[in-house]
Amino acid sequence: MNFIEVESFFFLPTAVILYWLLPRSRLAQNLFLLLVSLLFYACWDVRYLSLLLLGACLDFAIIRFMAAQTDDQPRSPSRRKVLVLSLAFSLEALAYFKYEGFFANSLNALLSNLGLTTQLPVLKLVLPLGISFYTLQRMGYVIDVYWRRIVPTQSFLDFLLFACFFPQITAGPISRGGELLVQLEKPRLLTPGTLADGAVAFLLGFALKAWAAELIGTNWVDPVFAASHQFGRLAHVAAACGYGLQVFGDFAGYSLMAIGVAHLFGITLPMNFNFPFLSKSLTEFWRRWHITLNRWLFDYIFTPLSTSRGWWRGRLDLALLLTFAASGLWHGAMWTFVVWGLFHGLGMVLHRNWDERYRALCRRDRKYVRLRQSNIYALAAWAVTMAFFMTSLIPFRASSLAVAGAFVRDLAISPGPDRVHVSFECLASAGFIVLYHCFDLPKLRRFRDRFFAMPAPIRGIAYGLLIVWLALKVPASAGTFIYQQF
Amino acid sequence: MDEQTVKRVVTEWLDDNYHFGDAATLIGGDEDKSFLQSGILDSLGFVKLILHIEQTFSVEIDRKNIVPANFDSLQRIAAYVCSLPGARLSP
Repeated sequence: MNFIEVESFFFLPTAVILYWLLPRSRLAQNLFLLLVSLLFYACWDVRYLSLLLLGACLDFAIIRFMAAQTDDQPRSPSRRKVLVLSLAFSLEALAYFKYEGFFANSLNALLSNLGLTTQLPVLKLVLPLGISFYTLQRMGYVIDVYWRRIVPTQSFLDFLLFACFFPQITAGPISRGGELLVQLEKPRLLTPGTLADGAVAFLLGFALKAWAAELIGTNWVDPVFAASHQFGRLAHVAAACGYGLQVFGDFAGYSLMAIGVAHLFGITLPMNFNFPFLSKSLTEFWRRWHITLNRWLFDYIFTPLSTSRGWWRGRLDLALLLTFAASGLWHGAMWTFVVWGLFHGLGMVLHRNWDERYRALCRRDRKYVRLRQSNIYALAAWAVTMAFFMTSLIPFRASSLAVAGAFVRDLAISPGPDRVHVSFECLASAGFIVLYHCFDLPKLRRFRDRFFAMPAPIRGIAYGLLIVWLALKVPASAGTFIYQQF
Repeated sequence: MDEQTVKRVVTEWLDDNYHFGDAATLIGGDEDKSFLQSGILDSLGFVKLILHIEQTFSVEIDRKNIVPANFDSLQRIAAYVCSLPGARLSP
């Protein structure tokens, strides 16, 4: 089950009503949320519940063991051993379920190229739902306890709920202990804003995901990626840009729905997207897109590497390449994702070096500072950033490197007519995502703020109209979402 | 090591590397202003700032302390660096 499926429209309201009828105690609320979370996960596949619970139990035992070590050295051998045990379990589960086929297929292809007939068996395993998300969340918590950045929780129930909390388990946001666990350690109170804010976030997320992303995907993206040789250049550009809008609508929409659902239970999850299409550099883009994953990668890979005492110290470019290669591999067990990650790593390296050189110019002459602050520079930087991101989505969307190569070739030679399906609904769904961003521009933000300051009945009418629109227009196929596969 | 020295060194570094004379204006007298939220520094800049602080004040910053609570504003950096034993301006 996910939040777009029909079942969730019965499941969620029932869970919310029962939750707020419970006594306002941490124990009752957390126990109920844990049962709901386990039920939610079991509805997808009850077999993998054991994997989720086993990992959570092991990590709880490990953090309690670390807490019991009272010596001054956070990196004592015993603490280090249990950290390795925790990371090994998490990474092995991820490697086995997510990457076994990728590694086996890659090795088989290599053996075959070398003329060897030996082939490794490829297990066709079902990917446990949310494994990439909940694994990183738990790993981050255990590492923070190891580094003594946080005091580990004493409550098994709270930790289990932190590891299994159903709104975020499918596709994040990936929370830190200091964000989610601290909220679970005290009872939640029902305030007037709790339900209203949660419902609005859910509704907005649903519109982005189930309407806008779905329409753009089926009309502009899927046909061109399925048979790129039948389309012209304009259709290819529309497909690449459309996919950027689609993947934003899909994932930012689902993240907003998760944030909204958590809010209905009085819990605030971290923001996952912050108007990424307003970014004027790749560095800024990655601070605005899938925020919780990127801060995880920077907190636990990039920063420790580049500030270490060893060989990696100060090697920012290499650390960036490695971090983004890891990001690519995290997104999917395919070479297309690795290429996508390296492409972004390379982009970050180029941007960083450009920035260094430009700053050297700024030091010499302030006219470069003024140029950098000008609208022309901002517009050019925005255009380059968007073009880079949209181009990077070609391997991200393609089913194989060969398909990505064919797409690029057909984009260059334009083999077919420039057929782009243009309908009012398609334009409206793309316009919806564009407007969503525009209302965060400094000059337009006041309109958004004015809307939220309107009396509740007026806003209620607007939301009602949106619900009617969505009920009429959401395609029946809108049942899955892109990031679920990761 | 006093906090004013640390603040001066960090502001100079921001000026030399990121804001070219505008760092003090951007901070605007609010020494608690979040570097990340106000765009004064990004994540790459943080790493470079940490490396610079280690070099300039002859200190080693433990990984557990590389958190926004210690580095996200002028005041926090100054308080944190001054709390490090043996922190001194490198010759």
